[in-house]
Amino acid sequence: MTAARGTLLALGLVALAAGCGGEPARPPAAASTAGPPDRRALIRDQHLPNVVLTTHEGKRVRFYDDLVRGKVVAINFMFATCRNACPAATEHLLEVQRALGARAGRDVTFLSISLDAERDTPDVLRGYAQAHGIGPGWLFLTGKHDDIELLRRKLGAYELDPVLDADKTQHAGIVILGNEPRGHWKAISVLSKPVRIRQAIERTILPPSGWPTGEAAVNEASREVHDAVEPVDLSDLPAVD
Amino acid sequence: MKLTRRDLLKLGIVTGGATLLPGRPLRLSHASSSDLGPSPPTTPFVLELLPGRGIPPLAKPVSRFSTRPDPTDCVNPDGTTAVHVSGPRVVPANTKFFLIKEKPVVHSFHPQLPPAVLWGYNGQIPGPTFAAKSGTPFLVRFVNNIPEKDPVGIGEPITAVHRHGGFQAPEDDGYPLDTFCTGQSRDYFYPNVPEGGLQQNQHSTEWYHDHTIDITGPNVYRGLAGFFLHFNRFDTGNENDPPPALGLPSGKFDIGLVIQDKQFDQNGFLVFDDFDHNGFLGDKFLVNGLIQPFLKVARRKYRFRFLNGSNARFYELFMSNGQPFVAIATDDDLLEHPLTVQSFRIAPAERVEVVIDFSKFKIGDEVFLQNRLEQDDGRKPAELVGAPTPILKFIVDRNPDQPDRSRVPDVLRPVIVGPRELLPRVVAQRTFEFNRSDGAWQVNGEFFDENRISATPRRGTAEIWTFESGGGWAHPIHVHLINFFILSRNGSPPPPLERGRKDTAVIGGPEFGDVKVLIPFPERFTGTYVFHCHNIEHEDMRMMAQYDLLP
Repeated sequence: MTAARGTLLALGLVALAAGCGGEPARPPAAASTAGPPDRRALIRDQHLPNVVLTTHEGKRVRFYDDLVRGKVVAINFMFATCRNACPAATEHLLEVQRALGARAGRDVTFLSISLDAERDTPDVLRGYAQAHGIGPGWLFLTGKHDDIELLRRKLGAYELDPVLDADKTQHAGIVILGNEPRGHWKAISVLSKPVRIRQAIERTILPPSGWPTGEAAVNEASREVHDAVEPVDLSDLPAVD
Repeated sequence: MKLTRRDLLKLGIVTGGATLLPGRPLRLSHASSSDLGPSPPTTPFVLELLPGRGIPPLAKPVSRFSTRPDPTDCVNPDGTTAVHVSGPRVVPANTKFFLIKEKPVVHSFHPQLPPAVLWGYNGQIPGPTFAAKSGTPFLVRFVNNIPEKDPVGIGEPITAVHRHGGFQAPEDDGYPLDTFCTGQSRDYFYPNVPEGGLQQNQHSTEWYHDHTIDITGPNVYRGLAGFFLHFNRFDTGNENDPPPALGLPSGKFDIGLVIQDKQFDQNGFLVFDDFDHNGFLGDKFLVNGLIQPFLKVARRKYRFRFLNGSNARFYELFMSNGQPFVAIATDDDLLEHPLTVQSFRIAPAERVEVVIDFSKFKIGDEVFLQNRLEQDDGRKPAELVGAPTPILKFIVDRNPDQPDRSRVPDVLRPVIVGPRELLPRVVAQRTFEFNRSDGAWQVNGEFFDENRISATPRRGTAEIWTFESGGGWAHPIHVHLINFFILSRNGSPPPPLERGRKDTAVIGGPEFGDVKVLIPFPERFTGTYVFHCHNIEHEDMRMMAQYDLLP
């Protein structure tokens, strides 16, 4: 064991990806040498716990090894009975999937992780996927409550206010976009217009030279003007010197 | 008040870095999606801010060059090439031309940490300082020479340059989708004139930084930021000029200081958390890219232009000896009158200029610039704490070579057309609520769309905009192109330091509340400009809207 790893252990900082019981220990990102951290390994260790999940097709998978490693992913959290953001989120992602055409599943995998592990059995999720006409390259996932809570926090889908954090409908509003091999991750609202989500996914898949930018990208959604003007009322202003 | 090593040990700042202070220390842990642990300890005040290390050089003009777009390699004045993606531009004959290259640089934050590969404008941290004289336009060509392959992985090699506070056309404003990639260049034209030719509309301290869609946060964190300063016939940049020149401290006594926070892993390498959408905080405090440096000063007055260049951290700055600051400017504007303050709060992207007089100190005295504002997460700063964190040490080490002729006159920049004159001309009011919803950020209940216009003011008119924060988060709201007057904060007159024109106003929480701002829209430009939260993680998650300034 290196001194650096010893220090980490002493500080209690190592047992992060500990959701994966029985998993062979992975070397931390930068323990053995004093070289700069391997970005990909750092993100894997800090944010991509290798927890066991079950797909809507009933297959047991590991989050990092089977779902994320080597891939571009679009991850959101949902649950089948959610009536808030979830239906719109699923609709938006469906539209994005259609717009991506053959690239969906090939260049990007959609992962929708249930926040209601108890009720959302693989069967329930399969029914949800079928009811929504989900295409290939999109997995609905369930698992142990604690594992999914760990995933949620590690992926940044949490509220700092504990009361809000306990409300799982609050976590269904973002889509986390990652290019695992390149080590680049970002998130936007899954309630953004589908064309904007698709562009953000393209900016995750492609190197910068291929990014949709400029006026053409702006105009892919039609122009809207929401120009709410209020009458001028100066009566509630404090006196001006 | 020279502190001995023993004193410093008692204060915990010799070996422990920023966190080991007596009393109730600043808590620097932050609720986060990662568990990196604290940065390694670094001994404070071992690096000196010197010209070329910490104190950036001035950007130097180059010979005039063609602004034609060029799909093949376009030859720059220095013989290098790039694919030029903007132009052609017709610019006035007196325009000065600049060539700035965004490129990697091996940077040392501190001798106890390993060097880091950052991205700097011209490979400098901070970037070279532009000094513009009113009436002399600049045409700046930025070339992206950041390699496509980047082993560090913080940020991506695609850029757009926004001159924050700048009075410039939409195509020169660094719109988040107006990007250029590795091997490409883009020109930005900066007229360097005040709106309407009015003296009160002159600019002062701006900064230029990356503004790329999705990744402004990591790209700025990686180093893409620098100062852009404005001078004119009153604020001449020469303290020896007779009135009506102001005579503010100038030259090597006029120093931009950008304060940032950064986080390092156990081995001392720079880290950034792409998954922290609340606002990324670091536990190391840097001035001009150096962790807790020191600056040797002469026994005289200095003008310091403080910029909070952090992604999400607020600061409240004090002098350790209780000496007040003489504030002379906020954001991009000189105040009408100097204002003496014991401390000042500075939010991300805000600027505060102060004059500090070291003439009463003895040679050998040391005094510290301290932060007393605690902040645990990106939501908002917490309360002031008694135990400060020193950020910068001033060492008074010499008498001035020449007598200090610099002055701080009672009138700095008279406001001829202020709120009293503008209020009768207000033609519209608008309200924008900056809210968190479903784990993401909204303005007026809508998620950002690049082709949605949320306001259509007409040029040359005045409007009152109310910025409100839902949910108790603090947001520094920045409106591109314009400078506004704050009419009220939480229904009361703004505090004294917020009575000058500003381009960024903090809202949110019981402390900051909402603000009403009076915006005089300029005559000179039309088109689309963004306004957004300058907690950059919020900005990258699209806490942004845009207005179309109509003819």
